[in-house]
Amino acid sequence: MTTDTEDRKAEAGVWGALRQLPANVWSSVFRNPLPSTDLERASTSFTNFFLHIHPVKVHKNTLRPAYTLGLGLISLFLFLILIVTGVLLMFYYVPSTTQAYDRMLDLRGTVAFGIFLRNMHRWSAHAMVGVVFLHMCRVFLTGAYKKPREFNWVIGVVLLLATLFLSFTGYLLPWDQLAFWAITVGTSIAGYAPLVGKQMQFVLLGDTTVGQEALLRFYVLHVAVLPAVLVLLIAIHFWRIRKDGGLSRPEPSAPPAKPVVKVRMELQKKIYGLQGFVRGPFTKVGNVPDDSVYSWPNLLMAELFVFVLTVSVILVVSLAFSAPLEQPVNVMHPPNPAKAPWYFLGLQEMVSYSAFWGGIGIPTVFALLLLLAPYIDRNPKGVGRWFARERLLANTIFLTLAVLNVIFIIIGTFFRGPNWTFVSPF
Amino acid sequence: MRLALAIASFVVLIVHGVVFYDQFFHRWEQHQTAYFEQARSLSKNAGERAELEARAPRIEQIIVTSFGDTHVDRCTTCHMAADDPRFAGHAQPLKAHPYSAAMGDVLRNGNWERRHKFSDFGCTVCHDGQGRGLDNFHSHGEDEFWPEPLLGYVTQPNWRKDFEPHLKGKEYMEANCAQCHTGEDFAGTPNVNRGRKLFYAMNCYGCHKIDGMSEGTLGPDLTEVGKKFKIDYLWESIVEPRANLATSFMPKFNLSDADIRALVIFLKSRRGVNFAETTLDRYKAHIANVAVVIPPGTAGEKAGEQLIADRACTACHKLRDRDGGVAPDLSYEGLIRDDAWLMDHFKSPRARIPDSIMPTFRFPEEDFTRMSAYLETLKTPPAPASPAAAYHELCERCHGEKGDGNGKVAWYIDPSPRDFTKAAFMNSKPRERFVASIQSGVPGTSMPPWGHALKDDQVNAVLDYVLQTFTKEPRRELKPHKAPQQNPVASDAPSIARGESIFLERCTGCHGRKADGKGPNSLDILPHPRNLRNSWFVDKVSDNRLFDSILYGVQGTAMPPWIDYGLSQENVGDIVNFIRSLNPKSTRSQYARN
Repeated sequence: MTTDTEDRKAEAGVWGALRQLPANVWSSVFRNPLPSTDLERASTSFTNFFLHIHPVKVHKNTLRPAYTLGLGLISLFLFLILIVTGVLLMFYYVPSTTQAYDRMLDLRGTVAFGIFLRNMHRWSAHAMVGVVFLHMCRVFLTGAYKKPREFNWVIGVVLLLATLFLSFTGYLLPWDQLAFWAITVGTSIAGYAPLVGKQMQFVLLGDTTVGQEALLRFYVLHVAVLPAVLVLLIAIHFWRIRKDGGLSRPEPSAPPAKPVVKVRMELQKKIYGLQGFVRGPFTKVGNVPDDSVYSWPNLLMAELFVFVLTVSVILVVSLAFSAPLEQPVNVMHPPNPAKAPWYFLGLQEMVSYSAFWGGIGIPTVFALLLLLAPYIDRNPKGVGRWFARERLLANTIFLTLAVLNVIFIIIGTFFRGPNWTFVSPF
Repeated sequence: MRLALAIASFVVLIVHGVVFYDQFFHRWEQHQTAYFEQARSLSKNAGERAELEARAPRIEQIIVTSFGDTHVDRCTTCHMAADDPRFAGHAQPLKAHPYSAAMGDVLRNGNWERRHKFSDFGCTVCHDGQGRGLDNFHSHGEDEFWPEPLLGYVTQPNWRKDFEPHLKGKEYMEANCAQCHTGEDFAGTPNVNRGRKLFYAMNCYGCHKIDGMSEGTLGPDLTEVGKKFKIDYLWESIVEPRANLATSFMPKFNLSDADIRALVIFLKSRRGVNFAETTLDRYKAHIANVAVVIPPGTAGEKAGEQLIADRACTACHKLRDRDGGVAPDLSYEGLIRDDAWLMDHFKSPRARIPDSIMPTFRFPEEDFTRMSAYLETLKTPPAPASPAAAYHELCERCHGEKGDGNGKVAWYIDPSPRDFTKAAFMNSKPRERFVASIQSGVPGTSMPPWGHALKDDQVNAVLDYVLQTFTKEPRRELKPHKAPQQNPVASDAPSIARGESIFLERCTGCHGRKADGKGPNSLDILPHPRNLRNSWFVDKVSDNRLFDSILYGVQGTAMPPWIDYGLSQENVGDIVNFIRSLNPKSTRSQYARN
């Protein structure tokens, strides 16, 4: 078929080549026309660099909004927004204690789209911390971390921690009172760790207090090291989803029918993919009733919808609310109370009861429990359903801890006033 | 799905439209266009018109490097006509900055020439505000987080509404003038000069330190106060010292609004290093010894007098016409206190008055000796014509004009001065006790022995005056109480232990677990419960009075008659032994309070 077309083109001569130039360029970039048959749908997915991360077909369960809530995708899209706005902000930012705050003022007052970029970056960062946490809750409550997906869960937990740290390092960069004292509180919590606490704090700050060295370190971590780590881990996270057989789903009620394999071996020239074997408008494999649908257009439409929804929410929020910018750093004048970023306020609240247990002990136990969850809970039942009865115990423990954390964050954020006394926000 | 996708896409589109509109159509462009138009109509020659015709709106900025950190002032982006005298009568933002001879501007050939050129000084050096912003809210510093709102023009939304009217006015900018014009009598900064004089006259320097000006250590260091705080905070701190620190003992000074304003402007001008001095000057000021210099050969009393004036004792105490309004009158100190008392009290005020708030000053012993020597010379007794005059002169400062124990310094004195209007108390105690209190004072409290200043008949006359004027109710015959003269229970370890257990059970709610009068209920009770570890006081009180107070209560106070709650004479004897055991005479020292 391809040979025929090429022959016809050659016949048409120079004029014909010019006339067909747009079509030729198009078809050289996008090897497949807009698909109209199953074969074309399949080949669209795996001949496109950006689409070939998708499987050709996905299980219907994967596309159920009520199952995934799209949380993983939202996290990814927020990360993409953060990369784009972050790179643009980097053009204006200087990680220097004498200049950083002035650059914030310029971004807010003078740079075209400056305030809007900053708002988008700020709110996306906050949103990402929340959504990644919710994504983790979704995976746990549907039992999706079970064999063979154990290690992908571990990567996911590391991704959550990396997201927190990425957000935390970005918190310092505006160099205002909010940033300075939040980081002072946050790094002091790290200082409570036994044996290595003080050293860890020193390595993080490059000094005994938050200053120029800390600003530079946080900047490098924020714009280079941590994003690179996150990109790598996200890539592995996605690759493993494919290799672990797609998203988790309930066991099929009937055993799968035997697959039909019919391949006509007629090699006419060297081929660079299995696709070359296939003739006719149908794929020759996987034509069994297994509840799966083609990624194009089903999965793609879902992804596009989540993307547009995420972007539109972030845009509207950024238009309505400005990112805070408090007074320039004044080392001699701490606010009362000085609060860590909101996602660490649960820790700070616990620290107010016991420095070691609140800041280090309990969080470490939590992190270890999360990392080891798939190796502790070996019960294979209840995968692919929300709140499965067989997982009552695991879900109850997880929900209790998660809700407790949220309650502590709410108390720390809204109910704590000067000298960390209890105040009512109403 | 497709409909939802379409709606979400539409939202994205709309938001983009709004953002683009917001980012490309600025208010300042409208101001600039208006300026170009009006300037064209005002210009007289074609060349200038053509030049204006060719100008397009753009961000104007002045970068100032001469004064402190680099300032970027974009104010002229809106205030285009700041230096255009033709716009003198226009409305803001297109109003020319006024010219003034007082500011050093010169009128040459009918044209004004500025002394402070905008190209050299920018705007924020004098006016404050945020030079980098391009909208009213942020550049004028109306944002509550901005530390330097336009001085005298802008008040921030979180400032107290009752202070706001005081915080507007051009004179606040003097604080910035004084960054360069540091002369103490510079004519352009009358408020700064007045504030500086007030800083000395009102004894602020006694407690507060300002590098190169004073060495006070009781209050916060004010060397950089103008850099740290906004004018609303400064105003509030002077008017209501306890607004920001509930335990502050800074007095409320009775200042006129004009005086407060001058002090605020003076304090706002204190920023550590100012533009007029080098860092070396600042360091010299920092280490400068502003301690009192006593000329050698000065007699002890003379030196003491000078020390008392220079150490600002009258920031709290009263001495002749100077009165800080916090602490007792020193005018008759030579009569009422002896040298030993004064030296003890100087070294540690709480050695003599256990609940005194007077700080322990770390002056050299020699200075204390000189100050005592001077105070000992104050031996002239008052010559009051009438008991009312004597009360006014000697008693009113603590016991109050109305005799209700609420005198001008009462708030700072512990135990509180007696309230004479409480007839229940006044009529339940024998007259001899009052006479004794006036004549010999009450040890361990601020009540001095007035017997050295007043003759016996004068004491009786003052007491009669108090009873008739304030207590009013006639005295009744006192019911005899069955209280022993001496404690019948022998003081031994078992008795003290019994006394302690009764005390812990019955008394700690008010008198506190330490028996220091600071129990959980003590805050709500006036007069406050007695501090039973005040050895000076407890040793003076007879067993009879302790028995009487415990068994039959103290009328007019919260102390109930414990005889009604089942305490026997033996119980009270144990309690008295316990209280006495807390104040052993042998260990009485300046640390007795612990």
